[in-house]
Amino acid sequence: MVSQFVLDAVVYASLFGLMAVGLTLTYLTTKVPNFAYGSFVTIGSYTSFSVFRIYHLDPYVFAAPLAFFVGALVSVAMYLGVLRTLARRGSSLVALMISTLAIDIAFVGVFGIYSDFLTSHYGIVDSKNFFRLLADFSLFGLPGVFYISPISLAAITIGLFFFLTRTKFGVAMRASVENPSLARVLGIDVERAYVFAWFLAGGFAATAGSFSALWLQGGTTVGSELIVEIFAASVLGGLASIYGAAVGGLIIGASEILLTQAGIAVFGSWISIYQKGFPLLIMVITLLLFPRGLVSIKWGRIFGTVVSFFDSLADRLSDIFRFGRGK
Amino acid sequence: MTAYALYLVVSLSLNLEAGFAGVPNFGKVMFVAAGAAVAGSVSGRLAAIILNVNTHGNYNGFIAQIITQLDSSLSTNAVLSIEILLLGILLAAIIGATLGFVTSFPAIRLREDYLGMLLLAAAQLFQIFLGGYEPLIGGTQGIEVPDLFAWAGNGIEIRDVVVLGFLAVFAGVVYFYAERVARSPLGRTLRAIRDNEMAARALGKNDVAMRRNVIIVASAISAMAGALLTFYVGAVNAEAWTRITWTFWIWVMVIIGGAANNAGVALGAFSFTFLFKIVDQVKFYFQGSIPFDVNWLEYLLFASLLIVILAFRPGGILPEKSSVTLPWRTVAEIMRPKSEPPPSLGPRSDVRQLPKAVRTDESSPATPP
Repeated sequence: MVSQFVLDAVVYASLFGLMAVGLTLTYLTTKVPNFAYGSFVTIGSYTSFSVFRIYHLDPYVFAAPLAFFVGALVSVAMYLGVLRTLARRGSSLVALMISTLAIDIAFVGVFGIYSDFLTSHYGIVDSKNFFRLLADFSLFGLPGVFYISPISLAAITIGLFFFLTRTKFGVAMRASVENPSLARVLGIDVERAYVFAWFLAGGFAATAGSFSALWLQGGTTVGSELIVEIFAASVLGGLASIYGAAVGGLIIGASEILLTQAGIAVFGSWISIYQKGFPLLIMVITLLLFPRGLVSIKWGRIFGTVVSFFDSLADRLSDIFRFGRGK
Repeated sequence: MTAYALYLVVSLSLNLEAGFAGVPNFGKVMFVAAGAAVAGSVSGRLAAIILNVNTHGNYNGFIAQIITQLDSSLSTNAVLSIEILLLGILLAAIIGATLGFVTSFPAIRLREDYLGMLLLAAAQLFQIFLGGYEPLIGGTQGIEVPDLFAWAGNGIEIRDVVVLGFLAVFAGVVYFYAERVARSPLGRTLRAIRDNEMAARALGKNDVAMRRNVIIVASAISAMAGALLTFYVGAVNAEAWTRITWTFWIWVMVIIGGAANNAGVALGAFSFTFLFKIVDQVKFYFQGSIPFDVNWLEYLLFASLLIVILAFRPGGILPEKSSVTLPWRTVAEIMRPKSEPPPSLGPRSDVRQLPKAVRTDESSPATPP
C-alpha cells in the first residue's frame, strides 16, 4: 500500500508540472509574469465542481476537456483583450504586471459571483469552499488522479516536444519566441503563434485545475494561493524552458509534501502551517544561486568534474598500490 | 477619512518605491501587516507589564479579561497611552525597516519581473505565517489591542476626532517628506536610476545604496501606517491583510493618481477612498435585485478601472511632471564667468540672446545647456 504522503507528492508534483508548463509558455511569449495564472486553475476546479455536482457526470470524461477549452478561451481573451492591447499602447513591464494582478482580482470577483449563483440557483451551499469531490474512480486501491495526473503531464510534455520540434507550426512558434522580429521577416505569423501559446497555457492550467478538484480543496481563491508554488516551479525551471518547468513543477510539488512530512517528523506538527514556505525557499535559493534555473546548470560539466575527480582518485590509489607492491 | 489618511500614507510610500525608484513592490501588504502585528502584539503586553495586570502567563489566552483591565487603567492615564502609542509606532518602524532591508537584497539584484514574483510570494508566505503563528497575534482569530486613545473621552466621536487629527498630522508629515524627496536632488537621482540605471551609475551615483535606502524608508513608513491602523481599530487579526486590500488597492491608488507624482497619488488615494465609500453606500440598493453578493462587483469594478486607466491614461490623472530645475536665467547667471561682463553689455551676441530667448517660456521646465 502506498502511503498517503507519497500519493500526495505524486499528485501534487504532476499538477504543478502541468501548471508550470503553462505559466512558462505565457512567460516565454509575453515576458510578463502572469499573476492571474492561478485563476485558470480555479476555472478548471469550478468546471469539475459544476459538472459533477449539477449534472453528476464523470469529471475525467466531461470536465477535463471542457475545462481545457474554457480555460484556453478565457486565456486567449485575456491575452488579446488586455495584455496585447496594453503592450501595443506601450505599457511598461510593471504596468503589464499590475494589469495581470488586476485580472486576478477580477477573476476572484467572477468566481464569487459564480459560486453565489450556484448557491442560489442550484442550492449548492458549499460552492464557495468545497472539499475534494468524491467522483474519482479507483484502480488497484488507489485513486484515479494518482494515475491520470502524471500520465497527462507526461503526455503533454512529450506532445509539446513533438509539436515544437517536428511540426512546422511548432518550429515557427519556437522561432517567434526566440527572435520575433527575425521570425516576422521570414513570414511567420508571430501573433498567431503567441495566441496559440496562450491558448495552450490556459488549457493546461484549467485541466490541472479540473484534476485538482478531485484531490485538493476548491474555492474562489484556491488559484491565487497556488500561484506561489507555480511561480516557484517555473523559476526553478528557468522561466525559459518548457521541459525545465515540468521538472521544476515535479520537484516543487514533491519536495513541498516530502519536506513538510520530514519537517513534521523532526520538529513536530506545527511546521505543517509553513508548507508553502518550502517552495518559496527553493525559489529564493534558485534566484540567488542560479537565477536562470535548472536548465542553466551545466550538468555535463558537473558530471565531468565528478568523473575526473574519481579518475584521479583511482590513479592516485593505483599509484600507491603499485608503489607498495613494487617494493 | 481615517481610511484616507492611512491609504494616503501607504500609497505615498509605494510611490516612493515604485514611482520614483522603480522597485515594483507587489508585496506591500507584508510591510503593513508586519507593523500592525508587532504593534498589536507588543503594546498590550507592554501595557500589562507596566500596569501590573496579571496575564496568567498566557497573554493571548486571557486577552478579553486583560484588555478590559488595561483599558480602564489607560483611559485615565493619557501620558502612558501616548508613550505606548509612540513606542508601538517606533517598533513598527524598526520592524518595517528590517524587513525592508531584507527585501532589498533581492530587490537590488533581480529584474523587475522576478522581483515582483518573489515579493508577491513572500507576502503570501508572511500572511500564512501571521495566520498560523498563534503566539504573536492569535492567528486568524486575532487579538484585541488596548485602546490607547481612550483618554480622549468617553464619547466615540471625540476619540475619532483625536485619532483623525493624529493620523492627519502623520499623513501630512509623510506627504511633506515625500514631496521634499521628490523635489530634492535625491528624487531626481532616483528617477535617473529608474530610467537608466547604467547611465546613472556611469555618472557616479550609487544606485544600489539608493534603492536599498528607499525600500527601507518606504517599508518603515508602511509599517507605521499598519501600527496606527491597529491602534485605531483596537484589534488585529491575520485575515485583514490580504493581497487585495493592502497591495492591490494601493497600486490602484498610485496608478489612478499618477505614479511619481505625490499630488497625483494623494488625489488617487482620495478618489479611490471616495469611490469605495460611494460603492459601499450604493451597493445595498442592488442587494435584493441581483442573485449574488454585491461585494464581488467591487473587485470587478476596481480591476477594470485599473486596466482602463492603464490603457487610456497610463500616466494617471496627474502624470509625472518633469523635474523642476533652476530657471534659465539663474543658470546663465551661474554659468557666466565672473570676469566676463554681464551678457547684455558683452560683445558676444549669442550669450546676450540666451536669457532673452528663454524669458518667453520660463514657466516650462528647462535643462541646463
